[in-house]
Amino acid sequence: MPGLLFPLGLATLAAVILPLVIHLMRRDEARPVVFAALRWLQAKPKPRQRIQFSEWLLLLTRLLLLILLALFLAQPVLNQAVDQTPYIAVMPGLDPKAAVSDDKARVHWLAVDFPSTETSAPKAPTDFASLIRQLDADLPKGVKLTVVVPETLQGADAERLTLSRNVEWRVVPGAMPAAQPVVSRPPTLSIRAAPDQPGARYFRAVATAWERDATIAAPTDALPPKDTALVWLSAGPLPDSVTNWVKTGGTILLSKDVQTPISDTQTVLWRDDVGAPLIEGAYLGKGRWLRFTRGLAPAQVPELLEADFPDHLKALLTTPPAPSRVAARDYAPLSGRAAFAQAATELQPWLAVLMALLFGLERWLATSSRRRAAP
Amino acid sequence: MTFDPIPPDVRHRLKGLRLTARRASGASGIGLHASRSRGAGLEFAQYRAYEPGDELRQIDWKLYGRSDKFFVRESERESPLAVWIIVDASASMGQSDTTRADYSRLDAAKAMAACIAELALRQGDRFGLISLSDKGLRVADPANGLRQRDRLRLELYGLKPAGEFPSAPALAPVWERIRAQDLVIVISDGFDEACIALMERLSAASREVLFIQTFTAEERDFPFDGGYRFEDPESCTELLGDGKALRADFLRKFAAARQTLEARLTASGIRHTHHWLDEVVDAPLWRLFGGGV
Repeated sequence: MPGLLFPLGLATLAAVILPLVIHLMRRDEARPVVFAALRWLQAKPKPRQRIQFSEWLLLLTRLLLLILLALFLAQPVLNQAVDQTPYIAVMPGLDPKAAVSDDKARVHWLAVDFPSTETSAPKAPTDFASLIRQLDADLPKGVKLTVVVPETLQGADAERLTLSRNVEWRVVPGAMPAAQPVVSRPPTLSIRAAPDQPGARYFRAVATAWERDATIAAPTDALPPKDTALVWLSAGPLPDSVTNWVKTGGTILLSKDVQTPISDTQTVLWRDDVGAPLIEGAYLGKGRWLRFTRGLAPAQVPELLEADFPDHLKALLTTPPAPSRVAARDYAPLSGRAAFAQAATELQPWLAVLMALLFGLERWLATSSRRRAAP
Repeated sequence: MTFDPIPPDVRHRLKGLRLTARRASGASGIGLHASRSRGAGLEFAQYRAYEPGDELRQIDWKLYGRSDKFFVRESERESPLAVWIIVDASASMGQSDTTRADYSRLDAAKAMAACIAELALRQGDRFGLISLSDKGLRVADPANGLRQRDRLRLELYGLKPAGEFPSAPALAPVWERIRAQDLVIVISDGFDEACIALMERLSAASREVLFIQTFTAEERDFPFDGGYRFEDPESCTELLGDGKALRADFLRKFAAARQTLEARLTASGIRHTHHWLDEVVDAPLWRLFGGGV
């Protein structure tokens, strides 16, 4: 179905008056001819006025060229014919024949590139929610979408699906293969401590408990890679280089006497047994900082000596994987999102080619010696 | 490459053609043309009574034997002829048809002049050329022979249409050179009154004048369709007009003007014909000299 993206461009059609006028004026232009028997020629007081165009072919070519130009500026598009057949997406691993009752529907696997169920089942997608959103965006408005899923879904997003249409969410018995459990490893520690700071040894002990390395260096030393947690035990403001390191994705653990940037998102991350804050932290750029609210001494922080101090610190420094298993009936998509506009075929390149050809023809017609000489 | 204005097919046809004059002087030697003057010759004219002073050998003694009177036998003298070719080289002669833009009236006139010279050369007549233009009037005195023909060709080769028809004072050489009884062939478009007047005066002064009026095919057909700017090359006046609208009026007026001119020429005893630019150049010569043959 053809359409125009910028119908105002058709105003260019007014320019077709130009070749018409040119060809009329060229007609009026009298050709000179030597004529010695002039005295027997008598000028007519009112020469016959006829609207007559010269060079019809050339005029037509020029008109066509201008019309095409107007069309070009109006940005024509060709909308693809809408396929209204219902669409059924089946999660790989399920039996499509058992799940599908509609014969006319298109049945595809819910996998990357949506292969037809005629082919063998592909691997289960790791990100099926994204695929469902893609399907919703790709299908034209009004096409019925049915998604066949097992009772338990693996790899779900944290956000519940919100689509532009009401999806028939058909739950059949079955299960998806569980994702590999993710083992979260604690980071290595790189300790920057002033010589008078006694706290460094606790972090060395923590690293030993984690079975990770801990390096100790002076505050002026080069910064470690981003997967290493930096432990900063040096009083005073953070150097700019360290702030930038944090902002680009680093994690830093600070002692109480380090001045930290003011942040709105500052929260208490760890409270002791009586509820007093022990470690607070905030995000800074892509990275984050954590800071002890008390001095690093067992008198002030008795938890330093506790056996579960490395575990607590590990939980703070590593982010556990997000839960991704969900019961299918609880994950049924909601509707309400605005429908996506369907992509249309641009006709402008073809028009440009056509115009170039026409222009060549026009030049050839206008300049070739084939043009008839005046009689 | 030598300049030869006569096309080969025309040259071939010229063999059947002969220049004839209605009156020849007979005063200057023996030639091919019949003259009014009586004298020694092959063609018997008349007997007349002997007068003192006649040569004795002219007396017809046989007639004396029969009649016992002296009679002198007279014959027509056949005389040579001086042929003058007058070519109008004014700017209007440069007009050509659009369909054949490189062939002007003057080119046709040159070809006709060369044909006449060829005929005269073959008959042993003397021929000369006068080209008329107010930019310069060139005269080649009549003579005979191949050399004269080449001289004529040279004159024709350098002839370019320019200017207007010369005024009466400038025409003095024409009167000085052309003698009575000479054959004068004028090739012109005849649009200049001065040209017609010159021919009338020449004819009245007992020169035999022939006139070939050259027209372009456009003047006959007027095939113009659409807007044109008609320019007169001599007066440099212009006329803007639509070809179709002008056509009928022009053809009527032009035909009337031709008829008037023909009547004038006939009244002055000038033999005349016309030449269309799209016909062969010897056609007017056949009309003039082909006669009943």
